[in-house]
Amino acid sequence: MNTHPRRHTQSSQGRAISAYAAAIRCCGVALAFIAALVALPGCRSGAPPLRFPPGAMVLKLAASTDVPTLDPAAGYDVDSWMFEQMIFDTLIRYSDAGVDLVPDLATTWESSADSTVFTFHLRHDARFTNGRIVTSADFKYALERVLDPATRSKGMEYYREIAGAEDFVAHRTKSVAGIETPDAWTIAFHLIAPDPIFLQKLAMPFAAAVPREVVEKWGEDFSRHVVGSGPFMLKQWIGGQRIVVVKNSGYFIKGVPHLDAVVQAIGVSEDLQWFKFEAGEIDVSNIPPAVFPYVMKTPRLRDLTLRIVTVTTRYMGMNCQMPPFTDERVRRALNYAVNKSKLIAVLNGRGIVANGVMPPGLPGYDPNLPGYPYDPARARKLLEEAGLVHGFEATLWMPADQTMMILGQSIQQDLELVGVHLRLKAVAFGPFLEAVRQPLTVPLFFMGWEADFPDPANFLDVLLSRQQWGGNNDTFFSDPRVEALLAEAAPLSDLARRYAIYREAERIIVSDAPWVFLYYPITYEIQQPWVHGYVLNPMRPARLEKVWLSPHPTS
Amino acid sequence: MKFRLNAMETIGALMVLSLAVVAILAPWLAPYDPTRAVASTFGDPAAPSRMYPLGTDQLGRDVLSRIIFGARISLTVGVAAMAVTMTIGVTIGLTAGFFGGTIDFALMRFTDVMLTLPALLLAMAFVAVLQPSILSILLVIGLVSWTQIARVVRAEALSMTQRDFVVAARALGAPSARLIVRHVMPNVMPIIVVMAVLGTSGTLLLDAGLSFLTLGVPPPTPSWGRMIEEATTYFRVAPWLAIFPGLAIFYAVLGFNLLGYGFLRRRARAGVGL
Repeated sequence: MNTHPRRHTQSSQGRAISAYAAAIRCCGVALAFIAALVALPGCRSGAPPLRFPPGAMVLKLAASTDVPTLDPAAGYDVDSWMFEQMIFDTLIRYSDAGVDLVPDLATTWESSADSTVFTFHLRHDARFTNGRIVTSADFKYALERVLDPATRSKGMEYYREIAGAEDFVAHRTKSVAGIETPDAWTIAFHLIAPDPIFLQKLAMPFAAAVPREVVEKWGEDFSRHVVGSGPFMLKQWIGGQRIVVVKNSGYFIKGVPHLDAVVQAIGVSEDLQWFKFEAGEIDVSNIPPAVFPYVMKTPRLRDLTLRIVTVTTRYMGMNCQMPPFTDERVRRALNYAVNKSKLIAVLNGRGIVANGVMPPGLPGYDPNLPGYPYDPARARKLLEEAGLVHGFEATLWMPADQTMMILGQSIQQDLELVGVHLRLKAVAFGPFLEAVRQPLTVPLFFMGWEADFPDPANFLDVLLSRQQWGGNNDTFFSDPRVEALLAEAAPLSDLARRYAIYREAERIIVSDAPWVFLYYPITYEIQQPWVHGYVLNPMRPARLEKVWLSPHPTS
Repeated sequence: MKFRLNAMETIGALMVLSLAVVAILAPWLAPYDPTRAVASTFGDPAAPSRMYPLGTDQLGRDVLSRIIFGARISLTVGVAAMAVTMTIGVTIGLTAGFFGGTIDFALMRFTDVMLTLPALLLAMAFVAVLQPSILSILLVIGLVSWTQIARVVRAEALSMTQRDFVVAARALGAPSARLIVRHVMPNVMPIIVVMAVLGTSGTLLLDAGLSFLTLGVPPPTPSWGRMIEEATTYFRVAPWLAIFPGLAIFYAVLGFNLLGYGFLRRRARAGVGL
């Protein structure tokens, strides 16, 4: 998915806009307050107070925005996925700290040699929290629900390659022929074409088992009354105030979760989160940019930080259809002209210099790519060869965000030295994404991509193929050699060969240089000393079932 | 009558004058190029030192040079915006006060409506539409801060039109334009000057506020407001990054205010007041 500059607050719109939003929100709060006075002419308290038995182990978190949804068919963002993966189970999932697949509700699975048939064997002891046993029919129902156009699921596209899915989508059949459930504990998927990354698609929360009777009872409101089989279950969700999940004591893995409950306060701005963390009121927190340098210079706090290189690449895209970026020499010149180590320093070390498209955590990553070292003399020479002795002017578009603005100024300084005058244009994230997709509109832009699956196709095909023009290929780059290699690699399930071909394609892309390859971001979080077992994942929100807390002052 | 500056006026005038000198002579006064990295303190701002008297920022730029060049933007925008403000405010105020009646009513109710809108919020909306540049910023600031001036000028003009010399000129057949330009305007001028000087501190602050909200003059041009905004990241480890541009804004606003209140005091002594 396109990443907002700050990984865990993808809906935040940056500083300039937030002041305006705050003003509007104040009006909203005022109106709500007046409404409350009218409705309840007594005293008005907020949410009913939370009571936990003494000694309960409760993890306290805070977030600035509400969770968009808890319905696995609907959620497609970090905040929703964080709670969905606590409440629901998929057949397989990623390991706690890595991008390798491990069993979730399936104990074993096999795939045919040509990657068109995938069979899973379920465990017999998993129950939904309403008491019913989870069977293969629940997974079939969940996927049919995602495929049903009436659900309007953003995950629909991932499963249309299942045999019979198109007929089902067009309402010609009542069920998807390619999903077989020979018995309650076995489910098999038949695909119309080989897809070696189908397993990864089944690890997305879209494919989580949901109980039909509950979904049908609540309909659109299922998101507020979710029932799953995961380690936690929804206890309370007061929109805009807090969300509470409690331990599912019937969870199929004995002894977990350790926590009795997780409470996430909502509507706590990033800066306020930090104050609450310092006061010991929340247990794990993001680190706002405004305190990051302070945290890193304070040993007591630095020791509490957690660090992970996410499966993300950040780059400066150049529109290959807009002069002068139609000229490969100009694009390469910019790659030599940008001082990437300086960017990392300006980010206070929250990144690794990028040499190519694929980030280090991605299977298929090529550690031997030379990339473009900082070499302004070479950049000037290339610009001269391209006939741009006097340089040129260009506009760099970026999401309105303080960090992006500083990085933009750093690049502005670098390019000035080779005669390229950069104008910086900060735009709210939504309109920014709209603009870059229009042809011949945005010459230069900051962009980031975070893996949906750990496979090179998720970067190379999605971001740089002709098919994605107007979609995610915002540079409108296309190279016939790359197209041929991508087509060759896509169906291969022999991973060594698959990755070798993708690496070849990546080398051509790096040499064509549709991007200035900037950096692979590093995310930091901070936890209280009494938090144990909290592990960051490079591609998914952290899982909480193995987290436990030692006794601490505010418990 | 001998013209003598009072103490407030003297201090204010000296402060404003010094600021103007700094702005004009910026290229000669500033030790470094304000937009280039002069030290490799990337992501790790350096404290004030002999080489960099006010330190360097996270992009390795010299803070002193940036403050000196920032004076240019602040003064240009502040004064030019005041000119725009004055043009709008005086035109509306004089027209309303001189003609009275329906014109007065319409213009003053419009002014009241504008007064109810918070200037900063309105300015943000305008800038978002117009795209930030020096020209758009000073126009926007002018567009949102003329209301007080219009009200004061209207009141003055209204009382002027009742005075005998205006009535006499009118009786002699002088056209309205001549009446306004030759008879009303010169008598309203002193209050306009006071309002302009006092108002400049307001436009300076508004400019700094817009810059702080990243809606000011776009980088790399140094501006005080944006310097403070960029310094928020480092406030706990490098507070000087925010303190020095803050002091610069304080100095400029104080200078204009002292000068303006000095003028006011002079008028108060002469028994006219605001």
